[in-house]
Amino acid sequence: MAQSPRSPTSQAPYLTVSVTDPAKMGNGVQAYISYKVITKTNFPEYQGPEKIVIRRYSDFVWLRDRLFEKYKGIFIPPLPEKSTVEKFRFSAEFIEMRRQALDVFVNRVASHHELQQSEDLRTFLLEDEQTMERERSQETGIFKKKPADFMQIFKDVQSKVSDVVLGKEKPVEESNPEYEKQKNYIFQLEDHLAEAQKHAYRLVKRHRELGQSLSDFGKAVKLLGTCEGNSLGKAFSELGAKSEMLSIKLQREAHHLLMSFEEPLKDYVRAVQSIKATIAERAIAFRNHCELAETIKFKEIDLNKLRLTRSEKLADAEREYEQLKADGKESKRKFETIVKLMNQEIARFQEQKTIDMGVAFHEFAKGQANLAKSIAEAWRSLLPKLEACSFFVQNPDA
Amino acid sequence: MNTLERSGSGSVVQSPRSPSPQAPYLTVSVTDPAKMGNGVQAYISYKVITKTNFPEYQGPEKIVIRRYSDFVWLRDRLFEKYKGIFIPPLPEKSTVEKFRFSAEFIEMRRQALDVFINRIASHHELQQSEDLRKFLLEDEQMMERARSQETGIFKKPADFMQIFKDVQSKVSDVVLGKEKPVEESNPEYEKQKNYIFQLEDHLAEAQKHAYRLVKRHRELGQSLSDFGKAVKLLGNCEGNSLGKAFSELGAKSEMLSIKLQREAHHLLMNFEEPLKDYVRAVQSIKATIAERANAFRLHCELAETIKFKEIDLNKLRLMRSEKLAEAEREYEQLKADVEESKRKFETIVKLMNEEIARFQEQKTVDMGVAFHELAKGQAHQAKSIAEAWRSLLPKLEACS
Repeated sequence: MAQSPRSPTSQAPYLTVSVTDPAKMGNGVQAYISYKVITKTNFPEYQGPEKIVIRRYSDFVWLRDRLFEKYKGIFIPPLPEKSTVEKFRFSAEFIEMRRQALDVFVNRVASHHELQQSEDLRTFLLEDEQTMERERSQETGIFKKKPADFMQIFKDVQSKVSDVVLGKEKPVEESNPEYEKQKNYIFQLEDHLAEAQKHAYRLVKRHRELGQSLSDFGKAVKLLGTCEGNSLGKAFSELGAKSEMLSIKLQREAHHLLMSFEEPLKDYVRAVQSIKATIAERAIAFRNHCELAETIKFKEIDLNKLRLTRSEKLADAEREYEQLKADGKESKRKFETIVKLMNQEIARFQEQKTIDMGVAFHEFAKGQANLAKSIAEAWRSLLPKLEACSFFVQNPDA
Repeated sequence: MNTLERSGSGSVVQSPRSPSPQAPYLTVSVTDPAKMGNGVQAYISYKVITKTNFPEYQGPEKIVIRRYSDFVWLRDRLFEKYKGIFIPPLPEKSTVEKFRFSAEFIEMRRQALDVFINRIASHHELQQSEDLRKFLLEDEQMMERARSQETGIFKKPADFMQIFKDVQSKVSDVVLGKEKPVEESNPEYEKQKNYIFQLEDHLAEAQKHAYRLVKRHRELGQSLSDFGKAVKLLGNCEGNSLGKAFSELGAKSEMLSIKLQREAHHLLMNFEEPLKDYVRAVQSIKATIAERANAFRLHCELAETIKFKEIDLNKLRLMRSEKLAEAEREYEQLKADVEESKRKFETIVKLMNEEIARFQEQKTVDMGVAFHELAKGQAHQAKSIAEAWRSLLPKLEACS
């Protein structure tokens, strides 16, 4: 890590980014959210300790696509999804969830020992908005794989995996049992994760509904209390007030569940999908290499034919053959780089996910415990008030 | 000579079979619901067990089989005979066909019928009723005959609704000064009626939301169970300490889902049902208000009729008509009727005043108990839920 020439004393290299201040720009269908991206670093290439730029969601997508193209084998951190529901697109909750996810994305890139060196990252963090817009529009067609292409690659990978398993066709897939196991694990994990995340989201929704119900109940009971005049009326009012208070606690816990548990779970799902994209890249690199190897064999046969017939096309063919051999070497190198990087990445992923999920679960259990505790205290605090009311007759059996 | 202390429940006659003096008692239990018949004719029968030392009951214990319509018959007969007294309410007929034979509905109905019959048995006037004795002692065929005799004579639900509407419209008409009231102009009573009508609205609203609260508890419980299962599957897929954490979380979620379902059931039986019972009681009071209004209107109409009759009589006297003697007889009859209608009305008024005081007191106690049960139960449940989650924390911290 090069030391910043401006620092008088040696300092550990750092690069931290924050994505803040979402602001709505434009109107109608053209409207979008822009974010302030603040970079703090002592990397020499960044020419300054701090830089602030304005970015929008499609800029982040551009960065992700460029990294995916350039760093095959590395699990590119996942991005939050495009919003499918129009009316939800500008809700405070959605904007905050997206801002958080984008902040996590950029910092994961910035803290990855390879990705943080990326020139595209520097472009993203330093260039002004017009330069950024120009970069983005240049990329369509060359780099950007459209979602449909990704889906086709996934389908190819998945069908090839199942075909190999079912012994249906001669595999153009690696016959590497260790890798096979990893791939099956990733596909199975995605299914189970998506299911768990779906139910975690429903759990958030049910907390909200229970909270709303408690609020309606509290209001109705308070009205009852005003209608009765005596100690019973007072008891109704106390019960109503307590219900309304608990409703607020439930809504707060629903929000906490969403941000501290359901979002990390969703993030895990996205990460696994990002890994599937890398699996597809590895499959493509392997297939490329195999096809080139086949082509080289056929070229050798051709060459021998031409040598025997002493053809004048021999020189050309020999030049093409040398080129093919170079390409073959290059495709082998590319494939082996991806394999090496993937092995490192899988270990890194497992470790990071274990920590992240451990924290998320802890938050979940803690949140639920705290909610239950305050519910218990709220009800218990009501008991002496009920007992103080004149109607309450001490039951010796209670 | 055996003497008996006068007990609060009224009956003072000592059972001839008891060698020593014993306080009079009459307790009933409604138990053992059983499905009888098939298809659309199917219904639930209950075992009604009476334990008493009332002499009219000729025995310390009697068991009979009754169905819901028998309870309805008893309620209707008591309503006719004891005007002014708030007849205890019955649980509603089931409107949803598929729910009619669910275990929960049957249990809720059985409880409500048991409460109904015991309230009658412990009411100092109603417990003397001959119809109650018939209900508690006769065999099923006698009961069926008694039930079929009653249709057409006593009021159908539609009639009740019409009376309610009349009472309500008359109250609002009086308030709005719309018509010359054939209602009592008794400010104290007016206040009581307004209180009852307002109470019914607010109670029905509160009970509706209490029921929704039960439903939401159930849905949250179901959601936690689904979540627990999904997380356990995840745990099997991962192999390491993370998988173990997933499995623990999943198992705990499933366990707590069961607690939540139990909590929902407890809420339903110990709070929502008493609230619904309160709503029914208030509707029963409205029926008595309607009866009082009827009695008052009857008396007023008779009083009007008598005035006209007096005028007629004087006319006939002046004309020395031969119809005079008959008219004088009719007049005496009318005077007797007026006396009777006045007496009936005043009885209702007196009984209602006692009943309102009794109702307020009893309801206050019942709801107080229901609230206390609710708060205690909820606090207890929440505490064990908090402990369950907290016990998971060190296991999660130990992982990874």
